[in-house]
Amino acid sequence: MEHASFIIGSYVLTFGSIGLYVAWFLRRSRSIDKFLDDKDKPWT
Amino acid sequence: MDLTPRTSGDASATAQTMKPRRRWLPMVIVAVAIVAGGVVVTRFLTSAIDYYCNVDEIGVRSGCDEGRRIRVQGVVVEGSLAKSDGATTFKLSFHDKTVAVRYEGDPGGVFQECIPVVAHGRLQGGLFASDRIEVKHSNEYVEKNDTRIEESDKEAAACSVQEG
Amino acid sequence: MPGTSTPTGTRATRMLGVVTLAFTVWLVVFGLVVSAEDVVQGSTVRMMYVHVPSIWVAYVAFALTAVVSAVYLSGKNRSLAWDRVAGASAEIGVLFVAISLITGSLWGRLTWGTYWVWDARLTSTAFLFITYIGYLAVRGLGGSFRQRARRSAVLALLAVLEIPLVHFSVVIWRSLHQESTVANSGTDVELDGLMLFTLFLGIVTFTMLFAWMVLHRQRALALQDAVDSHGLDLAIKQRQQEAEVR
Repeated sequence: MEHASFIIGSYVLTFGSIGLYVAWFLRRSRSIDKFLDDKDKPWT
Repeated sequence: MDLTPRTSGDASATAQTMKPRRRWLPMVIVAVAIVAGGVVVTRFLTSAIDYYCNVDEIGVRSGCDEGRRIRVQGVVVEGSLAKSDGATTFKLSFHDKTVAVRYEGDPGGVFQECIPVVAHGRLQGGLFASDRIEVKHSNEYVEKNDTRIEESDKEAAACSVQEG
Repeated sequence: MPGTSTPTGTRATRMLGVVTLAFTVWLVVFGLVVSAEDVVQGSTVRMMYVHVPSIWVAYVAFALTAVVSAVYLSGKNRSLAWDRVAGASAEIGVLFVAISLITGSLWGRLTWGTYWVWDARLTSTAFLFITYIGYLAVRGLGGSFRQRARRSAVLALLAVLEIPLVHFSVVIWRSLHQESTVANSGTDVELDGLMLFTLFLGIVTFTMLFAWMVLHRQRALALQDAVDSHGLDLAIKQRQQEAEVR
């Protein structure tokens, strides 16, 4: 594949940045979860 | 009842659950966003001063005059591409009108014959002196039948794709 | 749900997550390996399968932000949940515009020969990106939840008007950027079979990814809001006790 670094790089960047963003806010939710009861989480 | 805001020191009960929010950060971001928006619009407007012209509009459409800095759009004529002394020369055509282009250097991208390009520069004495070339890729995508395609067949296929 | 490792997850989001992950793997395999190369562009056409779905998701995200903001402002249902969906959706939209700008820039370098050009499509997309960064900043300016909701809802309804401008910019102004390939009525399809399928797969996958992310993110924002309001409750209680003592 020509220009493999650009092409694979853009796939890595796309899914990598999505993964980092999701990991960031899920970690944050987990850390504040201990201050909350189930009534703060109506979806459960 | 005392309702004045507290400094973080005596709000020990709340410190556990609530960090003091830095309100200045969003304000700075809003300010930067407004400035950046202005810069972007300005860049677009000043950049649009390079008039966008098709080859057949040079000298015809207002703003596309000879000697003025313009952007010319056309298709690279088959068989006209030549490279010598680090410069690239080719003919650009659109709607049966043709202009000769000279570009100092080697255009990047997928530059080749039979594809539409945009050349930035100035028409002087019948020769369009360009300092920037961009390949305008069409929105046609054709699968390459990978193996056994000869180079000449590929060129011809590209030409028929663009003109067909 | 007890035993859930992520506080924002439910059975539904976990199922959606698994399916989305499978689709993502499928897309990567099809995008990078199975789909054919383009006659002119060669393998760089593979950039399309992440670039186009990204901007698609950004449009969907900003449209969703506007719709839920309108619901909130209409007054029929003043639940702050609408506001949190608006915020979550805009945040994810900003991420996807950024992805689209960067992958587009890399793709432009390979096909046009330049990373960036100040033309209509690129400029208007950059402007859209900056607008929604501003929107997110305005959400963080402080005040009560209601103030935040009203303020940002008005802004969301104004900002969404940029989307038609971005989308039709290639028609309005002469541009280096190609016109829409798929969302283009009146012309015949110019994508060969497997390419069209892969692009379609990309759009489906990214839309599911977006749905999964919005569900989690708006719940994460609900947790954040709950913590903030409990903090306030505690502070008020503390002040009342002090007032009684005096």
